[in-house]
Amino acid sequence: MTTRFQTRTFLLCFIPFAVLLTGSFWAIQGFVESNVREGLRASLRDNQAALAGMRARSDLENSRFVKVAGENASLKAGIQLVLSHPHNPQARTTLEDQLRELGEHMGFDFFLVSGPNGAPLAGVVRQSLGKEPGQLAPFDTTHLEGMKAGLVMLDRRPVEIASVSIDQADENLGSLSIGEFFSFSGLASPAALLHNGTVLAADVPGISAERLAASFAGCDPASECDLRINDSSWLSAPLQAWNGGYLLRSLVSVDAAMAPIQARLHHLFVTLALICTLIVFLSSLLSARSIVGPIAAMVSHLRKAASTGVLARFDGTPSPIQEVRELSQIYNDAAAAVSAYGEKLQGAYLEFVGSLASALDARDPYTSGHSHRVSQLSCAVATAMKLPAAEIERVRIGALLHDIGKIGIADRVLQKAGRLTDEEWTLIKQHPVIGRRILEGVNGFAPYLAAVELHHENWDGTGYPLRQSGDLTPIEARIIHVADAFDAMTTDRSYRSAMSHERALSIIRGNAGSQFDPRIAAVFLNLAPEILEGAGSQACCGDELALAVGD
Amino acid sequence: MQCKGRLLSLTLAAFALAANAENLTGTILVKKNLTRRRVTPSVSLYQRGTPVELGNDAETDPIAYERSRVVVWIEGPVAAGVADSVAPGPLPQVAQLNRRFSPDLLVIPAGSVVSFPNMDPIFHNVFSLSRAKSFDLGSFDQGQSRRVTFAKAGIVDVYCHLHPNMEATIVVTPNRWFARVDASGHYTIRDLPPGRYTVVAWHKYAGFFRKTITVEAGKDAAADFFIPLQADSEEGE
Repeated sequence: MTTRFQTRTFLLCFIPFAVLLTGSFWAIQGFVESNVREGLRASLRDNQAALAGMRARSDLENSRFVKVAGENASLKAGIQLVLSHPHNPQARTTLEDQLRELGEHMGFDFFLVSGPNGAPLAGVVRQSLGKEPGQLAPFDTTHLEGMKAGLVMLDRRPVEIASVSIDQADENLGSLSIGEFFSFSGLASPAALLHNGTVLAADVPGISAERLAASFAGCDPASECDLRINDSSWLSAPLQAWNGGYLLRSLVSVDAAMAPIQARLHHLFVTLALICTLIVFLSSLLSARSIVGPIAAMVSHLRKAASTGVLARFDGTPSPIQEVRELSQIYNDAAAAVSAYGEKLQGAYLEFVGSLASALDARDPYTSGHSHRVSQLSCAVATAMKLPAAEIERVRIGALLHDIGKIGIADRVLQKAGRLTDEEWTLIKQHPVIGRRILEGVNGFAPYLAAVELHHENWDGTGYPLRQSGDLTPIEARIIHVADAFDAMTTDRSYRSAMSHERALSIIRGNAGSQFDPRIAAVFLNLAPEILEGAGSQACCGDELALAVGD
Repeated sequence: MQCKGRLLSLTLAAFALAANAENLTGTILVKKNLTRRRVTPSVSLYQRGTPVELGNDAETDPIAYERSRVVVWIEGPVAAGVADSVAPGPLPQVAQLNRRFSPDLLVIPAGSVVSFPNMDPIFHNVFSLSRAKSFDLGSFDQGQSRRVTFAKAGIVDVYCHLHPNMEATIVVTPNRWFARVDASGHYTIRDLPPGRYTVVAWHKYAGFFRKTITVEAGKDAAADFFIPLQADSEEGE
């Protein structure tokens, strides 16, 4: 998978940041949660203590009320009445009526009078009319025998009761029990009233009693415990226990307590994450740019080298980064080595070309040194025409190779003394095409093919092999055409002796515009005589390779 | 007007029957609602509870009610030769109905017998610790009745041991010359022989108010009483 350096640095910077941030987030959240849990535990204990105190005060108060009620003379009279008329329903009604009246004054929900033997005599309990408390009404007291204090279920409603003994002049008349419906209203936290594992009543919003009972299943009745209710975490502590397995437990939602803190933490961490991402992005951008910048400069340099084929030295601003500096250094070294190698290759190649030309010249004593001289002359013309250096080079090497096709011409034709027949001329005229074919297959000779193939094309289109005219023939071929003619005319041939320079020049002047490009002919005619003699060749294109080849 | 006319005609009729007996009339002026007409104990006694009205009188004007709670009678013996016997008829009674004594104010001349029937479906107890008559009839249930003879003049407070909020007052007058004040504050004691008398106006929470009057033959006498403002007499009870 390829990624941009910038993306890579961003990811490499961001991932550790993200991991660190996430890790610390979880750690802090865990820490906070344990703290909150501890705090909730403490508050539960405080609640428990506060409730215990409240209950103690309330019990004391209730006991006072109960005592006051127990000293009620008319109630005593009522009890005595019932005791003396044990089977009279009116007596019982009288006592119930008294209890009802007493109860309405005192505001309690439950009154029960028991005889000296503990058997209930009469009782009233507050009726419920929906949510509103109703009036006190008599109820069936038979199952309440022996009930003195604690919690009792009446018609599926829990009642907390307290009792006092009623005495009249050292005679025990029985006892009075006063009670109130158990209520969660005095509790600061949600709570549930349990009896042997079943939930009798609960004040936990949104959670059913069955759910609560299931959650309490694995909970030790006497101690605090952690609960999972509806996938949320709760803490529970026992608040109060009564005889008969009744237990009041308070509950507190850890999640609810955590929610605001968690929200703030989330907010904080999201902000932090955003800031970190921004910082990471900016820093990675900066660092990437400091690395990518020089590399990009180098890449574009290389791209240019790829398109031009020239591996030039990289001279950008030196990067402050050690590695990039080393890279550009090494690149420059490589470029230098490549160009040195290229030059060396070029030299070897020129040497080869030179030796090829020499080998060709050596075949015929009359044409000995012809290729080199044509090369010198052509080079001189090109220089005088102020052609670009690359073109001059092409002219020079093209001229060296221009008669290479003669390798394919039989010696008897080439070295024939005397006039050539038409057939032999036809063979001779093949040499540019043969030369082109020879060089075509060799890598690196492509620039010289035109010089080789077209150096016998005339300006007026009467030359060979393509009978091209004017500017259609490349300039190197036209230059070589002039120089070749001049050298051919000024050297001995088997069929004639050498012409003088003047005569040769006058022939060139005469054929300018017909055989030769007039502009090139004019330049040639203006060349210094030393150059035509071959002495000034060094001044013109006198590189050592040419000399070496000449040797 | 109608009331006045009736009074006048009654007066005329009485005058026609006994030429030597005159009527005593008067007006009672009460300035303040003296009776706390509450059947339940005061709230302060039980902080936790809320007083529940177990019953209330349908009286609209509390001052009129107070006026009707005033009893007027002649103190001491009235001149001999005038009939002082109790009129025959059904026994006066103080019933126990709806956890109250009914009526809760009864005026009888000394020597009367009062019955106390229980009409509630629960037990009641009737007793009194007053100096004029002290008795305890015990507890008895619906349909039963007890009788008490009040021989001595005086104020008798009657209670129920089982229901502390029940109370009744029986005013035993020394003679038959007594009257209840009506709601408008007027009273009339008829057929009073001429002479000099002490007239007593009594209100349970205001006490006794006495006036001496002289009744002349052929002339109606008048005695007006002003029952003064008094601090809440019930408060301390």
